[in-house]
Amino acid sequence: MPFKIYGFPPSTCTRRVALVCKELNVPYELIPVNIPKGEHKAPEYLKRQPFGVVPAIDDDGFTMFESRPVARYLVAKYGKGSTLVPDPKDIIATAKFEQAVSVENNHFDEPAGELFLQLVIKPMRGLPKDEERVKALLATLNSKLDVYEMVLAKQPYLGGDILTLADLFHLPWLYGLTEKAKLDLVTSRPNVARWYQEISSRPAWQAVKDGA
Amino acid sequence: MAILKLYSSSVTACTRRTATVLHELKIPFELIEVDVLSGAHKTPEFLKFQPFGQVPYIDDDGFILYESRAICRYVAAKHPRSGLIPTDPKANALFEQATSIELTNFEPSAGKAGLPFYLKKLGWRDDLTDVPANLEILDKKLDAYEAILSKQRYLAGDTLTLADLFHLPYAGFVSLGSDIMTRPNRPNVARWYNELVSRPAWLAYQDGVKTTTEY
Repeated sequence: MPFKIYGFPPSTCTRRVALVCKELNVPYELIPVNIPKGEHKAPEYLKRQPFGVVPAIDDDGFTMFESRPVARYLVAKYGKGSTLVPDPKDIIATAKFEQAVSVENNHFDEPAGELFLQLVIKPMRGLPKDEERVKALLATLNSKLDVYEMVLAKQPYLGGDILTLADLFHLPWLYGLTEKAKLDLVTSRPNVARWYQEISSRPAWQAVKDGA
Repeated sequence: MAILKLYSSSVTACTRRTATVLHELKIPFELIEVDVLSGAHKTPEFLKFQPFGQVPYIDDDGFILYESRAICRYVAAKHPRSGLIPTDPKANALFEQATSIELTNFEPSAGKAGLPFYLKKLGWRDDLTDVPANLEILDKKLDAYEAILSKQRYLAGDTLTLADLFHLPYAGFVSLGSDIMTRPNRPNVARWYNELVSRPAWLAYQDGVKTTTEY
């Protein structure tokens, strides 16, 4: 029974789950939830995901939602030998991984997501940008990436010496901001550039970057 | 073995989150006060340990770690019998789902509504401009929480986990100025919330986190 993703192909979080499926060679069936038509707010979908966002998954009857936990679940269930999540018995490596996952969530995700909304989604819908907000978000995101530059000068990946989900989680927004919004976020930061070049050229990301 | 050192302000939200979990696990710790009002968390010496210039961070016998939820996960991992992080694969997946629900569906609006109430109570800042809009967002999120909590006792299932405890600071702060967590139309949210805020680990630091060596 294939792993089912209830999602929308271009959605950030749907692509985040599809990326990890590709990394682990887990075949999946994408069951479309049409966001422009509001299907994510329909009662049948809300039974799967009470907050009304995509994606949700069904793995042979086991259902869950939230893209990053789904990614962790995929690694736990299908990633035998995978180092995308450290062995829980290694408490120190796990702590550094959790620190990096928390950094992505608390420092990167919100400003990056809102910038993408302002610079790419709003123009697509014919809505005006909020220039003041864009300025503030750029200042925030740039200050965070300055810290990333320092961290990545001392270690190859955000969690330490090994690539983990913490690095991969950044891909949807960072790809969107650099390739679609055409922001220059990485070229002036050699370590961020090195790190982004590596994670974005992975075949798994290339396979889903423009649609899960 | 040196006592765990918690570098932070005694009153900030993330410090309260960390200290609550330390207390739940009965881990002795020393609070080393960082004077955030005078910018002590932005000095070069501080940034060496926490490069984003935020509190808290810990020094656990030489191991440095920041991000309050990562710290909580680390100490819970050292006490697996607490059950605060389930290990059964499906229970763990649902635990992770619950921690993500807190991050994506609670913290953004509860933080932006709760923090202004808290800062006003501390006498640090009086600006409630952002509160109404964020309470409106939080109200809709809590309807989804009601749907979840009507089927199970806690956010990850029927046992308490870190995912529930992570809500404490902002759930408590929002309640300083709103009854949104205890409205009668959401009896399960109210039940869950009231249980959380009556835990001794939360009540212990109502007047600020302090060094705790005995439980």
